[in-house]
Amino acid sequence: MLAIDAHDVTKTFKSGWLRPTRTAALRGVSLTVPRGTIVGLLGPNGAGKTTLLSILATLLTPDSGSVRVLGHDVVRDAARLRRRLNMASGRPSFLWSLRVGEIVAFYGRLYGLSGSKLRRRVDELIELCELGANRRTPYSELSTGLKQRVALAKSLVNDPELLFLDEPTLGLDPDVSVRVRRHIADLRSQRGITIVLTTHYMREADELCDEIAFIKAGRILARGTPAELKRRIRLGDVIALRLDPPAVPWLGEAPGVLRCRAVDGWVECTVDGAEKRLPDLLRALSAEGIAVRNVRVREPELEDVFVELAR
Amino acid sequence: MSWRAELLAVWAVVVRNALMASRNVFFFFELLFWPIVGVLSIGLMTRFLHLTPAQASFVLIGTIALSIVNVCQLEVAYAVLLDVWSKSLKHQFLAPIGIRHLTLGSWLVGMARGGVLFLLLAALGWWAFDFRVLAPGWLAVAVFLLGCFLNAWIVGVFVCALIALFGNRAEAFAWASVNLVLVLAGLYYPVSVLPEPVATVAAAIPLTYFLDAYRAHFGFAPEFRAPIATGLALSVVYAALAHWCFFAAIQRARRTGLLLKMSE
Repeated sequence: MLAIDAHDVTKTFKSGWLRPTRTAALRGVSLTVPRGTIVGLLGPNGAGKTTLLSILATLLTPDSGSVRVLGHDVVRDAARLRRRLNMASGRPSFLWSLRVGEIVAFYGRLYGLSGSKLRRRVDELIELCELGANRRTPYSELSTGLKQRVALAKSLVNDPELLFLDEPTLGLDPDVSVRVRRHIADLRSQRGITIVLTTHYMREADELCDEIAFIKAGRILARGTPAELKRRIRLGDVIALRLDPPAVPWLGEAPGVLRCRAVDGWVECTVDGAEKRLPDLLRALSAEGIAVRNVRVREPELEDVFVELAR
Repeated sequence: MSWRAELLAVWAVVVRNALMASRNVFFFFELLFWPIVGVLSIGLMTRFLHLTPAQASFVLIGTIALSIVNVCQLEVAYAVLLDVWSKSLKHQFLAPIGIRHLTLGSWLVGMARGGVLFLLLAALGWWAFDFRVLAPGWLAVAVFLLGCFLNAWIVGVFVCALIALFGNRAEAFAWASVNLVLVLAGLYYPVSVLPEPVATVAAAIPLTYFLDAYRAHFGFAPEFRAPIATGLALSVVYAALAHWCFFAAIQRARRTGLLLKMSE
């Protein structure tokens, strides 16, 4: 069963009156998301991630293409669809002088909750998002992390089947980010919610997502599991060496070495296969009288994939 | 959408607007300061100019109507303005809420504020100028207030449409629009004194008819035939038109991306 089935979606924004300029945000994007999965949309700034997310969430209408979300057409059947999905943004904003509990209750009423059902739901979400101490705090007085938690609580008020998270950990302290990521993973594992998220943090995508779609200039350039993407891009392995003396000019020209760069006192060599190339490199360095103080080998990270694709 | 869900969505907006109003420092100025200053200054002017009691009541009815329309239409405009100011518009329209819930919920709060204001100004008018605005009886007062509230609703919804169409730039309409009504609807003078083309425009404003009908209770000959029926009929037409404009403006904002821009 698909939660999202989008084909050939385009969106162009126009601005200006006298000399209108057109910016193509999406150029024929197709995306399918199976139910119960977490899919990440990755890409550089201005790639079209938020535009795609907004179309899927019915906040923006596409120029062309077909988009079905939870079986509903996002344009013709938007009103019914809105009851079944929700969204939280990494740059949340709610009415300043409303208190945390009042914000969650306001959205709860819009989704048809009232009386004791509404009170129970608000209590449950305030506990889940660790907002108990701030329940009566006006929104304007909350820290960034607390505001993000309010956004998450609001996004769960209707127990959505599909949740869109736009940069959910943007600007959060590391410990809070870890807790938010744990919440997100729990939402899928415990409630079976399908989640589509955009993020700039590769570790977050690697940790949370079953699949990743990489968007650039309004097109999906690559799609797959994090491991598949790393394999498909053929980035090779990274051998990091701490050498004495630290600079070895010929290392980049050695057989099987794709590129070399100095990073914080280490020389990082990307090679076509670490198992095959490491013994050769160590032998060559030893023959030249260069001492190897330390060695690390790692597979490419999603960040390397991102850099490669964004190039 | 079931009736229960419809009512709950309207109630959500009522609670939200009421909470925001109760925490807004400008609430005091909107509800008390400006209206009281308005009635006192106009009332004192009628004394200075030695107007007859009938003439004074004509002008004071206009002042009271202006204050009520102003307070109520601002509350309707807040349906969108509050979210524009706090950049939360996208959350609003991501939820299953229709424009009817937004405008009706905020109108209910506006009517409550307008009703309280009317009673305050009625008491002030009686105490300071011996002007008995409630003298025509509760039914006539209710029809007059309904006319003011309907006009406020219409103006407020048009303001919401303009904001959804042009963004924050249209914010000034929220405060300016009521002054147009002031000039055209004959708040301080009968519309018959207006030059012909302007008088025709005045005749297209529902408030003109409700003022005409209410002033008839104070001894002024009505300028229009069946003013209440005409005022109500015009109000229905304008209310439908205003809601259509607001709906179309929101659809356009979804197309152009303005809905998202106003949330950034």
